[in-house]
Amino acid sequence: MFAKRYEDPPEVWGVSRIVVDGDVTPWPVAQADIEDEAESLAPRLAALGLEPGGLVLVVAMLSQAAHAVPFERAAGKRGALYSSADATPFDAFRVAALVRQLEPQVVVGITGGVLDGLVDAGREPAEVLGSVPAVVAADYDAHARLRAAGLAPRRSVQLGPTTAIEGLDQNGPVYDATRWSVEEVDGELVVSNLVPRLTEARQLRTGVRGRVVEEGRVSVSGSG
Amino acid sequence: MSSTERRYFSPEIETMPRSEIAARRDERLLGDLLPWAYQRSALIRETWDAAGITADDVQSMDDFREKVPFIDKDAIRAFRDRHRDPYGGMLCLDPKMTEIFSAIFSTSGTTGDPTPAPYAGRGPSMLVREFWELGARPRDHFTYCLFTFRGPGIHDTIRGVGATPVFVDHQPTDVPQLVRFSRELRPTAWYNLSGPLVLALEQHAARANVDLAEAFSSYRGVTFAGEPIGPRARRLVEDGWGLELFLHTGVGDVGAATECREHDGCHFWEDTCYLESLDPDGAEPVGDGERGELVSTTLLDKIAPLFRYRSDDLVRITHEQCACGRTHGRVWPLGRKGDEVVVDGRSVLPGDLWEAVERVPETSAGLFQVIRAGREVDRLRLRVGYATDGTGGVADVRTRVTESVHEAVGIEPEVELVAHEVLLRQGPPHKIPRVAKQ
Repeated sequence: MFAKRYEDPPEVWGVSRIVVDGDVTPWPVAQADIEDEAESLAPRLAALGLEPGGLVLVVAMLSQAAHAVPFERAAGKRGALYSSADATPFDAFRVAALVRQLEPQVVVGITGGVLDGLVDAGREPAEVLGSVPAVVAADYDAHARLRAAGLAPRRSVQLGPTTAIEGLDQNGPVYDATRWSVEEVDGELVVSNLVPRLTEARQLRTGVRGRVVEEGRVSVSGSG
Repeated sequence: MSSTERRYFSPEIETMPRSEIAARRDERLLGDLLPWAYQRSALIRETWDAAGITADDVQSMDDFREKVPFIDKDAIRAFRDRHRDPYGGMLCLDPKMTEIFSAIFSTSGTTGDPTPAPYAGRGPSMLVREFWELGARPRDHFTYCLFTFRGPGIHDTIRGVGATPVFVDHQPTDVPQLVRFSRELRPTAWYNLSGPLVLALEQHAARANVDLAEAFSSYRGVTFAGEPIGPRARRLVEDGWGLELFLHTGVGDVGAATECREHDGCHFWEDTCYLESLDPDGAEPVGDGERGELVSTTLLDKIAPLFRYRSDDLVRITHEQCACGRTHGRVWPLGRKGDEVVVDGRSVLPGDLWEAVERVPETSAGLFQVIRAGREVDRLRLRVGYATDGTGGVADVRTRVTESVHEAVGIEPEVELVAHEVLLRQGPPHKIPRVAKQ
């Protein structure tokens, strides 16, 4: 590219974070972690209908970079493009504009706050998102409201450093059991890495209430 | 001197002789970009055809300045609406070429629909020069406080100077984490601070009894962007919190400009863009250092190139060498041409009102809008954000704001007071629209 790079790239790709019940833990990740999560997500985006030449709209916050950027890289591995919007009420106007302009095949990360922003702007969420083949809600609120509006949203959930995402079968969010071990402890899902990661997760609390329905698939309950 | 002690990141470019800057510009613009874009960009082809010129008619910079027609945001939007092209006819390549493009980002959308922009970036941008000047060095932590819709260019650039980005949301709700990460990770640079974030930090410090000077003591430099900083906010941030601010501004949608440690104008990189400063109501250039409208031309972008783009930004520009030794031009942003209001023949820009609004304690956040149906109005109408937990009554605050503005610009305004949050909701997070129709 145009600008040169300092000859000694940093070992740590970035410091993102994990939030459990409102408590924030800084979470350093390596470039290899991001690429490996992207490899893991690419087939799951394909299962949602993202095709080569298509586009996924990733709705997230910058502080969630370690979760959001693998989706972006996964799009590239699929031969597709991505676009971005903030998961805030204010930036809901961007979600609406980009859905209209770019016609994404998949939108991931819709939250209740984004839906609030659409409603505040006088837009019906079902009208804005109804044309998108696969919409993935990132929280219970958005999932419930989109279902009530007659859509068929899928659900994603952050399990510590990784993301579980539901496919078209709507049988619950799918995580990568070759890379992560997920267990239920006192009704809460905890996660451990099975492959090397810069920051180790050992039975890390996720704050997500739910259960492992089969290896690689969870069901989440309530506000999880 | 070790590589980390050097003053410039790219000394061979940053201190390049001006004759070499001009030679590179001519080669890129005349020899490459103009014919490329004329062949491929529907908007440029249509605009140039209407002006009766082709790329062959532009053989020198004199030709360029004399013959190449202006483009502005209205022209791009009109093309977009006429042709149902979300890119406004600017694209020179098919955005579905995934071997070239990885993403489609969008402009902030402050003044309307965000404009999508295909992204072909791989690795750091030329902002490595600015980040080095801020004081970021390899193995440092670097606070990256922005939004997602700008894409990976900034955090790739932070890594490009060998530093590690610490991701923070540019949101009042994330201010506690901004303070915490600053304390725990001791970052040396921070991109970006803005007026709304200053207000949120001030409120957080008061509420949580936080010593921001202590929390921020590791920073060597912080960019401030979005809109101008008022004198009160600058004193608070620089004297109160001990931060060295580097003003950072976009230059006509073709690049960015940032102050160096001399703080005497924002350097723009003339190996990436060509900037003109023209009579805001005409086509004639203004003199070096005089107020004019910024008209921008890319020397870099082959995807959606802009030539002679009338930015609506009022600026001063100089090409005199800076005391820092850099040879590239400097720009001082003064305001938006479209934000000007003429009251009884007198011109007023938001920047003329800033200090007067900040001077009243309840409105010291400097959140205000000029309400105007058109450029010329009978009365100066202002909507001003105020701290609803202040001790003064609303009528008293209104009187003091009115008097302060009257004293500053000699015009008695009509003032509507609203809670800060009412204006902040009009965002984006780093700025508010300074002019509203109603």
